[in-house]
Amino acid sequence: MAVLTVQNLSKTFNLGTARESRVLDDISFEVKGQTFVSIVGPSGCGKSTLLNIISGVEEHTSGDISLTSDAGGPARMGYVFQDPRLLPWRSVMQNMMYVQDDQSPATVSRAKEYLDMVGLAKNADFFPGQLSGGMQQRVGIARAFAVEPDLLLMDEPFSHLDAITARGLREQLQDIWAQSKKTVVFVTHDVVEAVELSDRIIVLQPGGLIYEDITIDLPRPRRQTDKNVATLQAEVLARLEKLKAMSVAEPVA
Amino acid sequence: MTTMQRSAVTKRRSTTEIEQSTPEWQKRLTSETAARVTALLAFVVIWVVMSWLFSRVPGPVEVGERLVDEFSRGEVFGNFGMTLYRFFIGVGLATVVGIAVGVVMGLSQLSRAFLESPVLVGLSIPAIIWSFLTVMWFGFGDMSPIITTFLTAVPFVVINVAQGVRGVSRDLRDMSETYNVPFGRRVRHLVLPAVTGYVAAGVRFAIIMGWNGVLLAEWFGGGGGVGYRARFWYDANRYGGFAAWVVLFVGFIVILDRFVLDRAIQRSFRWRDSR
Ligand SMILES: Nc1ncnc2c1ncn2[C@@H]1O[C@H](COP(=O)(O)OP(=O)(O)OP(=O)(O)O)[C@@H](O)[C@H]1O
Ligand SMILES: [Mg+2]
Repeated sequence: MAVLTVQNLSKTFNLGTARESRVLDDISFEVKGQTFVSIVGPSGCGKSTLLNIISGVEEHTSGDISLTSDAGGPARMGYVFQDPRLLPWRSVMQNMMYVQDDQSPATVSRAKEYLDMVGLAKNADFFPGQLSGGMQQRVGIARAFAVEPDLLLMDEPFSHLDAITARGLREQLQDIWAQSKKTVVFVTHDVVEAVELSDRIIVLQPGGLIYEDITIDLPRPRRQTDKNVATLQAEVLARLEKLKAMSVAEPVA
Repeated sequence: MTTMQRSAVTKRRSTTEIEQSTPEWQKRLTSETAARVTALLAFVVIWVVMSWLFSRVPGPVEVGERLVDEFSRGEVFGNFGMTLYRFFIGVGLATVVGIAVGVVMGLSQLSRAFLESPVLVGLSIPAIIWSFLTVMWFGFGDMSPIITTFLTAVPFVVINVAQGVRGVSRDLRDMSETYNVPFGRRVRHLVLPAVTGYVAAGVRFAIIMGWNGVLLAEWFGGGGGVGYRARFWYDANRYGGFAAWVVLFVGFIVILDRFVLDRAIQRSFRWRDSR
């Protein structure tokens, strides 16, 4: 069963005075349960827009989107944004609980577990302003996992971080994912990162079309130092060579 | 580059070094307390000089004596109590109504289009106009000062709260939306903390403007109270008694602002200070 089905999805932004810009153009794909899918593409090709539409924050112009939940009822979603998006006036733990449906002690201890997994158990009572940028981003990640979502959306969660922290978090993400097997849609512009993390990579090209849909069949856990990973990364990069030549989305009349 | 440059070293001093190298007397002299005391002293000096220069400006000593007289006549507490009663009802109403209207105005485009002009008109009508009108409408009683206080204060609360609600971060609202956070929790943990500063600013304005309103309405309404008593002495050409009441009500508002409002505002911003 597919957790996420996207059919003929198009998105056009109205730029006022009769100008509009087509950002996504007739996109279709399906994401099955327990898979880790990456959306890759150059800056401005519509990756964040796609996630926002899936999450319901943004409206789409045409096409269909459906989400299925395991438990019945509306599908639960977790979203790790490009920035942490924490309530500055609430503690880390209060931020974790803010998004939880039920506020029972069981949920509290689950939230604590995930906080522990990202190495922030000691910082539960801190305000976000008292944490570094990387730590705040980790709270965002723990918060998303702690709602135990049917679908977890992640929008370049490591792009603001230094290489060392990002690498550590990627390994952590793989570990957490191996334990919980959530369905993940992970946006990145970094092909190397995508190969390391995903079962499948959907490549978007400027203008909002699907350029390629690549299956990554490598054993886990994968580490950057792993030879097979490196070989495949080089191969995928080579296949996307042509994308470089394409210009970034231009408004159509 | 061809030009020679002489090297200059900019040294940043540590807080410990600054702390140790500044003499004690200098620290005291440049403290905030010193600034407040200086302002107070300057005010008294100017007052004394003015009273020497102009016969119609009563000096601090004379005003002090009149103040004692009023206390011993038993005029102070009764009139003050009457004024405070009117003032707190008016300002309390303005706060409650102002927050409710402000939140609605901040959330809905349509209500903003509807309410924007009336609120602006309200902001621009001075307390003195309201006090004339309310005395005309309600005569000499509690009603006209209460309504005047309310009407002068409420637009300030509305405009500030609406501004604050509009400014609640779009990113945080989207985040709440994707996680399906229930409405009540959003108001409590997102909207209210985000607008605390605006509510506080609005209430502060409301208190100061409302105090204006209540005094003016009493001045013209003649139904007792601080404003009425000040006018009584003014009409009797006794500027000392008049100034004594001015000192009383100015003192009251300053103390209220410094010790109650300021502290409440600081307490609600603790999350920001503790970085
Ligand atoms: N609210 C908006 N109004 C008009 N155009 C928009 C709006 N939001 C996004 N766009 C346009 O949509 C296109 C895609 O934006 P999007 O943020 O989805 O890109 P992205 O692939 O996430 O890029 P990046 O990798 O830099 O984050 C851009 O050309 C942008 O100008
Ligand atoms: Mg983006």
